[in-house]
Amino acid sequence: MRITRARGAAVTAAALTLTLTLAACSGGSDGGSSDGGGGGDVTAADIDAALDAEGTTTLQYWSWVPNLQPTVDLWNEAHPNIQVELTNAGQSADQYTKLQNAIKAGSGAPDLAQIEYFALPQFALGESLVSLDDVGLSDLESDFTASAWEQVAAGDGHYAFPQDTGPMVMFYRADILERLGVEAPTTWDEFLTVARAIKADNPENFIASIDPGDAGGVDSLIWQAEGRPFSVEGTDVNISFGDEGTQKFAELWDTLISEQLVDVAGGWNDAFWRSLDSGRYAMWMTGAWAPGSLETNIPSTAGSWKAATMPVWEAGTPANAENGGSGTAVLAKSENKAAALAFARWLSTDSEAVQAQVDAGLFPSTSSIMADTDFLGATSDFFGGQAVNEVFVQASKDVSSGWQYLPFQVYANSVFGDTAGQAFSNATPIADGLTAWQDQITTYGNGQGFKVTND
Amino acid sequence: MTSVTTSAPPRKTRRAKAPPERREWTGLAFVLPFLAVFVFAIVAPLFYAVYLSFFQDRLVGGSFFAGFANYAQALTDPLLHVGLGRVLLFFAVQVPIMLGLGLFAALAIDSGRLRAKGAFRITLFLPYAVPSVVAALMWGYMYGNEFGLIRQIGDAIGVATPDLLSASWVLVAIGNIVTWSFVGYNMLILYSSLRSIPTELYEAAEIDGAGAIRTAFSIKLPALRPALLLTTIFSVIGSFQLFNEPNVLRALAPTTISSYFTPNMYAYNLAFNGQQYNYSAAVAIIVGAVTVVVAALAQRLSRAGEK
Repeated sequence: MRITRARGAAVTAAALTLTLTLAACSGGSDGGSSDGGGGGDVTAADIDAALDAEGTTTLQYWSWVPNLQPTVDLWNEAHPNIQVELTNAGQSADQYTKLQNAIKAGSGAPDLAQIEYFALPQFALGESLVSLDDVGLSDLESDFTASAWEQVAAGDGHYAFPQDTGPMVMFYRADILERLGVEAPTTWDEFLTVARAIKADNPENFIASIDPGDAGGVDSLIWQAEGRPFSVEGTDVNISFGDEGTQKFAELWDTLISEQLVDVAGGWNDAFWRSLDSGRYAMWMTGAWAPGSLETNIPSTAGSWKAATMPVWEAGTPANAENGGSGTAVLAKSENKAAALAFARWLSTDSEAVQAQVDAGLFPSTSSIMADTDFLGATSDFFGGQAVNEVFVQASKDVSSGWQYLPFQVYANSVFGDTAGQAFSNATPIADGLTAWQDQITTYGNGQGFKVTND
Repeated sequence: MTSVTTSAPPRKTRRAKAPPERREWTGLAFVLPFLAVFVFAIVAPLFYAVYLSFFQDRLVGGSFFAGFANYAQALTDPLLHVGLGRVLLFFAVQVPIMLGLGLFAALAIDSGRLRAKGAFRITLFLPYAVPSVVAALMWGYMYGNEFGLIRQIGDAIGVATPDLLSASWVLVAIGNIVTWSFVGYNMLILYSSLRSIPTELYEAAEIDGAGAIRTAFSIKLPALRPALLLTTIFSVIGSFQLFNEPNVLRALAPTTISSYFTPNMYAYNLAFNGQQYNYSAAVAIIVGAVTVVVAALAQRLSRAGEK
């Protein structure tokens, strides 16, 4: 009946193996970045030639954009010689992990992948992506909004075709503001006043929530306040949250949190949607891609919503930021670069393709559709008949330039909750939290071989 | 016996003379499929992880041999220490509760005094069939401070419930999920061990005039010792491997559950968000070694108690 020593040893050995399996599945250390990159062997002429090439090329395309298949079908019908297979390899960080592993392993990577703007510098740095400038596509600049084109830039190249953008927009419950007899705020001062009015009306309610685990949301608010904490030049990186814009943001949100005018809580979960549904939150400040999510998650509030441009710091001086959005990148290791580039260019610039993606819920990145009267005039019942695209296009035009993401932003975002997020949750000074974040990502960056300064 | 030994010598000498190549190898053919899978799926990754842990791979500069640098860093890494301390605390509090409940349930079912004991047994075991991610999601809904079921019940009966996802309660909340999932599993191991006690022992106890309680303490519990040790060792592993439950709840409590909340979460985030595969391998090996030590200690303690 008693466990023998051998069996006991076997159990303890099993304990060790179970733990180590995790480490083992993490993949190789082979430097996949040693060759490839750039993609200078392909020219614009090759891309056009690929469209008419004989035989059939099959492209692997990773994306998690919802309802993208109909757009891909449009391409496949029109181009029997270049067939695109769409795979959802996971959302955001999950997909980047797989992509990074496939690139390291040297096999299994797709020809094209959706990459969010914040993660693009990391893949560009590893020379894993084709630079559009190297293949003679830099003249595409005029096809895209200024902020979209700026966001696919890393170092001296542009590493993706902008697919969608997310200019920050203030979505608000018009019914709640109307009941309280207040106007939608246009400046952050007014925002504070409205927030206090909402609290005075019912102490259980908040003007909005802030997610202490979401670095992207906070980055956007800092960007919108003209803060520029990250700057990158090659492998020289500067991280400093001490600038004026960041401090303005930190002080305002310190006040909002200490007076409990905003709820510090995670987003995208059951409680979040219920709060927007019940009116516990009166606003959601996020990217222009949000209407689809609102309509799906809280259909019962249809008609009560309105969209407006973000509150600004100085009345009459529009300033905005982007939140989310991604581009389509061609992998440097792809064997069908010309065909992949042809498809990606079509996906981002062809008016039929762009319209199909807009219909699927994306907010576009091309300048032509932003001037399209049908697009601008489209009204939305969910927003009480408002022509919301007019607001979104204005929001897109207002985006201020010069924001940069770190070449290790994926890691930086993953430790935001451990550091800066603590200040939001514990109502301690946000500036201190941001300093803790700065310290941790500085250490990481230096450990990864970057030269990180905090000037 | 003597007759056997006397007849044995001639055969013995014949066998001794047989050339060594004639040893029976057919058995190996039967073990080979297992060995192949074992080597490829378990031994090889293990050695690969050890190999990885001696390198460093940087985003700028690439991969190079680092000797024991990763281990030196991990041993002094405060984030790893915090995680290890937390799972140790979790182990010290949650495991006795879980095993105690499992033991009580097993003894209750075995006592023969329960009605519908089959239904009781299956109901208790059912949570084990729920994948831990689903279990964590489900409990997460109930824990939610604003709209969670527990808060709503508390409000309805006028009891102020604490925020179960706050820093001071979250470990209790996770312990509750793990206990819910694994009480039935441990109960089953203990119960099957109880079923294998020979009935003669019970009869003898009855003849000696022992009651139900005395029987439980003098016969059942000593007989359960090996099974208890097994469940304890499984629980040591389970505690040190804690990952799914906190990782799922993290979406609800992004700042109370940090990226290094448990050693496994730390290793995961190092590898998959930080691209620090090599350091992650070193962390995993250290956590594995600590697990082995704690499991061995548990075994040693139990053996000492036996004497």
